[in-house]
Amino acid sequence: MTSLVRYAVKRACDRLSVLIVALVLQFVLLRVLPYYVLGIDPSFFFMNPNLTNEQRELIRRAFGLDDPLPQQFVKYVLALFTGNLGYSFYTRRPVIEELMERLPNTVALLGTSTTMTIMIGLAIGIILAVKRGTKIDTAFISASVLLNSFPAFYLGLLLLLIFGFYLKLFPLAGSISRPPPTDPVLYIADFLWHMTLPLLTLVIIGVGGYALLIRSLFITQLGEDYVVTARAKGLDDKTIVMRHVLKNVLASVVTIIALALPGIVSGAVITETVFSWYGVGRWLFEASTQFDYPVVQGVLFIDVVLTVVSLYIADLLIAIIDPRVRLR
Amino acid sequence: MSVQRTLPGFTRAARSILSNKKGALGLSILLAFIFVAVFADSIAPHEPDEINLAEGFAYPIWFSLLPQYKNHPRNIELNIQSEAWSVQGNCTEFYMRNGWITCRLATTADVETANVTMTYSFEYPYSPPKNFYSEIPYIVSLSGSSGSVVRIRLYIIAPEGKSYLIYDTRAIASNVSRIDPPASVDSRDVPLKLALGFMPFDELGEKIFSSRGVYMIRISIIATLVKGSNLSVILGPLRFRIPGLLYGVLGTDNLGGDIFSNLVYGTRVSLFVGVLASVVSVSLGLIVGILAGYKGGIVDQVLMFFTDTLMFIPLIPLLVAVSVFIGKNLYLTILLIALFSWMGFARNCRAYVMSLRERLFVEAAKAMGASDQYILFRHILPLLTPVIYITLVLNIPGAILLEASLSFLNLGDPRVPSWGRMLYNARYSGAFSRLLWWWIVPPGLMITLLAMSFVLIGQTLDEVFNPKLRARRLA
Repeated sequence: MTSLVRYAVKRACDRLSVLIVALVLQFVLLRVLPYYVLGIDPSFFFMNPNLTNEQRELIRRAFGLDDPLPQQFVKYVLALFTGNLGYSFYTRRPVIEELMERLPNTVALLGTSTTMTIMIGLAIGIILAVKRGTKIDTAFISASVLLNSFPAFYLGLLLLLIFGFYLKLFPLAGSISRPPPTDPVLYIADFLWHMTLPLLTLVIIGVGGYALLIRSLFITQLGEDYVVTARAKGLDDKTIVMRHVLKNVLASVVTIIALALPGIVSGAVITETVFSWYGVGRWLFEASTQFDYPVVQGVLFIDVVLTVVSLYIADLLIAIIDPRVRLR
Repeated sequence: MSVQRTLPGFTRAARSILSNKKGALGLSILLAFIFVAVFADSIAPHEPDEINLAEGFAYPIWFSLLPQYKNHPRNIELNIQSEAWSVQGNCTEFYMRNGWITCRLATTADVETANVTMTYSFEYPYSPPKNFYSEIPYIVSLSGSSGSVVRIRLYIIAPEGKSYLIYDTRAIASNVSRIDPPASVDSRDVPLKLALGFMPFDELGEKIFSSRGVYMIRISIIATLVKGSNLSVILGPLRFRIPGLLYGVLGTDNLGGDIFSNLVYGTRVSLFVGVLASVVSVSLGLIVGILAGYKGGIVDQVLMFFTDTLMFIPLIPLLVAVSVFIGKNLYLTILLIALFSWMGFARNCRAYVMSLRERLFVEAAKAMGASDQYILFRHILPLLTPVIYITLVLNIPGAILLEASLSFLNLGDPRVPSWGRMLYNARYSGAFSRLLWWWIVPPGLMITLLAMSFVLIGQTLDEVFNPKLRARRLA
């Protein structure tokens, strides 16, 4: 168990450094580059253009924009880690408060879609690996090439058009009906009803790639000696795949998922915007177009935290599934 | 081991792509796109930023083959010049030059009223349009004693004889020039609608051109002249335009721009973004990968730390924020896409270089006193070319899709006619709810096809260069 703890601590340091680098990058790209290189002062976006220079200076000083950069950065990071994400320029509410309203929606959408994608991808991948070389296999491979080249936002729009607008089976926008149902069971049902189309989009876009990766993982494993041994023992295909191969492949599957996590958080921005999902991704998009600076920073931070935390969970899962990893 | 034998040349690679069914398909789609991109200027009938070519949301012209759209209005553009007018009434002096008509009036009586009308008739063969526009430059000069007044009016006369006054100069008693800008009539003008007795939300074109038949445009000049005064009216060519509801190969967008031209020019943008972003990202990955793999040690560790870290930062949120705060520029978008997509290749490259570095031929070269530079360029880089080719091709679809997504969110360069931008326009002008499929389907189809062609070629290259993979796929 000590090796697991040591591994957990080491990984925690690694992942924390990702977070710090992301913060530096965000600081450079959103604060240093616009202000010092391009001459755009982010505070101009909310200042009245009729203010005198003295008033402007005062506001700038109040926001700490006069401090030297390193000091600004330290202040910024300390504030982020104490949960002080500032106030939205637009709604004048604390960013953290609004964030907490939207975060559950995003986590629900992304969590469900990722889980479903993995489950379906695993199932399809295993079936394809077992039936490799058959017509089903080649058909799916061609289909996944097509799906990989299909823009996610376009798929979302088409689904919305067909199932939302013409067939009227699903709502056109939002994550809950207005007014929301009071009965908790109905509430959850309504939420799921709203979630169906965005979920479908994310799953359809994601599943092809997973299935192919899992297929090739399985095919490699099926050529291994232990599979031959198992077959020689007289085990049937199902037992071999489910009891022997799956165990060996699981660690790699979790790694694949971990590598895909940043992409999943990324993709949510577009899908949430298309479906007007009341989540963090769409909020980031809206806040950006309104120059709502504190919100943008806060959401970027939360996106990175979301990625890093799920990565860390994946790390621990791998270490539990495959003890060899801990020794590396 | 000879470098020449391990490195399939470009022609050989092309030949093996063509002999593969998947590769041939991908390559032919790509060539078609490249052809369209190169000859966009000759293929597209209009510039991508031209607007008001026809009515907004016009249907494709080939809809006229369907019975229900047979009589749908098409563009009518009239440029009525001197001889085309039939003139009634007497001018003291009348001549035409360069399409301009000059009518001079003078009187010998104390007070005289002159009346000159000019008429042009044309056939309107379609169902009612929505709007019409008209424009005519004119100069009125009055000289001599005061008290003379002139009034010029522009009418449309419907086949049943009803006449509509669409422009009126009112009484003019001094010199007036409307050359630049000319007198213009826009049927969307609410005061005009009210003056003609229609409601503000009526479509004037629909009301006036309500039936098929011969319509007339009439200019009437009425002058009251006092003795000794001199009047000259100079009229330029009258332009009359009825924007059609059927236009172009794929109809028009909300502003009356040609969708087909936009689609053709979009090919250029997508190809350019995809290829440039891929080239930049592969070069970055190559540099980092070779440095890390060949130098090893602390350089390797630092570079790999940054690579891994960047790999785990969600890209689109950052791109959204950056493109809003720094600005919407095509090159910036390309650069940002490239900056966040080199990491996977850098890792592959590093692993490859590390294994090559330990090979005997490198050691032999070192023992013979070859410099690092020599080894890198003569021994390692040539062996990396297949991987570089494959990654170059396989990175393109991602960049194309990303650019399309950003443009769809209106975060792309607003001056660039990209496919994502077309879909953004379609969405925000309500093309989806009207099911204008000729506007919605083509851009999505193009994005998919172009991305797919690169995926197909990349996969074929992968199979050609890595025979082991082929064996495994067949296993």
